[in-house]
Amino acid sequence: MRYSFRLLRPPEVVVLAVAAAALFLGPAWIDIGYLRLIAEILFVFTMAQMWNLLAGYVGLVSFGHQAFVGIGAYTLFFVSNSLGLSPFVCVPLAGLGCVLTAALLSPFFFRLRDAYFSIAMWVFAEVVRIIVSQSAALGSVYGMPLKTARQIDRIWFTWGCYWWSVGLALASVVVTIVLLRSRVGLGLIAIRENDLAAKSLGINVWSAKLVAFLISSLGSGMAGAGFYMASFHVDPGGAFDVNWVVIMLFIVLLGGLGTVEGPVVGTAVYFILRGFLADTGNWYLIGMGVVAALSVILAPKGIWGALSHRGIELVRLRRNPMLSQRR
Amino acid sequence: MTVTIVGLLVNGLFLGSLYGLIGLGLAFAFGVMRVVNVAHGEFVILAAFIGVTLVPYNPASPLLLVPVVAAIMFMVGWSLQAFLLDRVVGKDQMPALLITFGLSVALRNVFVEIWGADSKSIVVGALKFSSIEVLGIRLGELPMLTFAVAVALFVGLQILLSKTSLGRVIRATADDAETVQLFGVGPRRIYAISMGLAVSASAVAGVLFAMRSSFNPFSGVERLLIAFEVVIIGGVGSLWGALLGGFVLGVSQLVGLYFAPNSGLLYPHLVFFAILMFAPYGISGQRQ
Amino acid sequence: MLLKIDGLNTFYGDFQALFDIDSEIDEGEIVAVIGANGAGKSTLLGSINGLSTKKFGRIVFSGTEITGAGADVISRLGVATVPEGRKLFPSLTVAENLLMGNAVRRPGPWTIDRVFELFPALVELRNRNATKISGGQQQMVAIGRALLANPKLLLCDEISLGLSPKVVGDIYQCFEVIKSAGTSVLLVEQDVMRACSAADRFYCLLGGKVSLSGSPDAFDKERISRAYFGA
Repeated sequence: MRYSFRLLRPPEVVVLAVAAAALFLGPAWIDIGYLRLIAEILFVFTMAQMWNLLAGYVGLVSFGHQAFVGIGAYTLFFVSNSLGLSPFVCVPLAGLGCVLTAALLSPFFFRLRDAYFSIAMWVFAEVVRIIVSQSAALGSVYGMPLKTARQIDRIWFTWGCYWWSVGLALASVVVTIVLLRSRVGLGLIAIRENDLAAKSLGINVWSAKLVAFLISSLGSGMAGAGFYMASFHVDPGGAFDVNWVVIMLFIVLLGGLGTVEGPVVGTAVYFILRGFLADTGNWYLIGMGVVAALSVILAPKGIWGALSHRGIELVRLRRNPMLSQRR
Repeated sequence: MTVTIVGLLVNGLFLGSLYGLIGLGLAFAFGVMRVVNVAHGEFVILAAFIGVTLVPYNPASPLLLVPVVAAIMFMVGWSLQAFLLDRVVGKDQMPALLITFGLSVALRNVFVEIWGADSKSIVVGALKFSSIEVLGIRLGELPMLTFAVAVALFVGLQILLSKTSLGRVIRATADDAETVQLFGVGPRRIYAISMGLAVSASAVAGVLFAMRSSFNPFSGVERLLIAFEVVIIGGVGSLWGALLGGFVLGVSQLVGLYFAPNSGLLYPHLVFFAILMFAPYGISGQRQ
Repeated sequence: MLLKIDGLNTFYGDFQALFDIDSEIDEGEIVAVIGANGAGKSTLLGSINGLSTKKFGRIVFSGTEITGAGADVISRLGVATVPEGRKLFPSLTVAENLLMGNAVRRPGPWTIDRVFELFPALVELRNRNATKISGGQQQMVAIGRALLANPKLLLCDEISLGLSPKVVGDIYQCFEVIKSAGTSVLLVEQDVMRACSAADRFYCLLGGKVSLSGSPDAFDKERISRAYFGA
């Protein structure tokens, strides 16, 4: 596998530019009802890519990423409502809130290895959920509406949410590729394989993990803010629900852990299945759990991994942590 | 005032013994096989559901349910290891982590399908509310009984590990699964037995819990997080540490609820974070 | 013939460690396997006791083919190992480590008391944690543990490694007792003199192949040296 010294190759730039153009011009050629659905899909896609960045490339599985979804959403709602700012402007602020949170958590959580990190993140998410649920200023258990959204024309609002979703989705892809081709990224790959060896080579394990963690929290937070912004309402039960991680995990595992294309495939499959299984109540959650568990055993490389085994590879950049498990 | 504080402490100990028991299962599975079973909480709740289901068939004291459910859940844990987790035992924890996470999601929602989403509990009748007064402190009989059972289980497991040949083999397998094969021991068999023991110990906690408070299909998450915190506070690989960790969290919970009745598990979680922040570097998840 | 090896080729992943090895051990024999680091000695032991799984050829022990068998099965048939580096169980005491030999459940003359007779130094250490004793004492425990499995064949991997000559000498005295109890021993050693003085026969490995074999008395030092280092 050759590593290119250019962070983004010409063919990739072209593809991304064309996709960006087509998507940004969406309002011109896509029906407005579909714009809302696409926005939702792209927000979820962004979250999955961000979870994948941490789990697939750094090897840190987080069962608490719903914390960032919720913190991002609540930050946006609170700041927008209190200061009267346009919600669109508050999306980066939501991201900032999450980055600060992640920065504060990292000194303590990075001491924890593997499963301990994963569950500690979950504990953190629960703590935030309980505190928010008891906070009258944040609407307690019932949540808050996005008051400032009422002042924006409905169609512009839909377009604004849509454009944010497109921007975040594209950014998540570009940032992942660029990061992993950079020096920091090569360090991350070394860490994933064997972090003691990486340390002995002089790679600063801590700061590499931190960069990935901060980016992951930033992206998830902004996507969460965008998602709830588009829903006009946020509540703690939904925003801090561990099912967010279930969705991210399902998409990433099914699509291909540690690949850029994997979450694309996974997100598509997820939403297609959701369309079909919408009326089955619990069964789609049961199905997701079972499929996620089985895919670890039967198809650790995911759908995309299975395809690229046959020579199809879009982005030259693959890192599958589960292939190091030889049995 | 002192009476209240002492009362909170004592009752916190009783609750803590259950927490410790839940954590014990997780600690044991991790100590022997390096597996963190994210579905651990769901197995605790499964035990409670089975207990509830068996209540109508139970001719005598609800405490009889405990060994029956423990035996059933031993088989469940054994099967989980033998048929599912055994394929991913190894140095990398990630596959088992992800599999058990998926399993926990599926199980939670299967519970809803089978038993419905309503809260349930194991009815013990008068025992739930009877209490005795010792030195001015009100002590519930049920909590005392559950405390006795929990401590007995801890002692029993300790005896099993340190005094029996099975315990010796389990400890040796946990130390070095390759070398142990040179002495006629099949590690997979030992792993399955260990998982069976781990799940059944926590199943006992699940049943006892269901006698003192209600639960629903989604309570597994809370149980898992408590179990995990117990293990971290008590020190990975330490049996009695789990009991100690349980006590710390049990007391935190009751003290927290006394001042903030609706806070759920907030205070144990906060105490856990405080310990995490100030603990020595040693909490790296590595076995001592 | 207790153990017969025909055409053994053993691999570590893609790397081939043993090439067409033929060898045999009879009841009551002490056979040494000598060779430099990386010659394949430990791999040979691993092939016999079942820990090295990627192998081709035929290994027959006590009439049963064990080529593809698992290590736990093989140990129950009567092959016990004193692993390189001792590999004592760190959570267990000396006595508990010894008793792990019993996990094989083979009947025979060795009991924990007889092991204490053979290695009296261990008696006062019986309840001490196995990591808190000296290297020589650990080696005794490792041998005792293997003996408690009542093996027909004892595999010893580099037992002199890291120990002082006096301690090694003490330990080697136990082979007389072991041999007289009827157990065969396959002794892997870097210390050629020590191994050849204790053994009835030897094999010398070089680059995964047998470069010399026979009785130690039949060859002079120079001949053995050439086989060891490669001429």
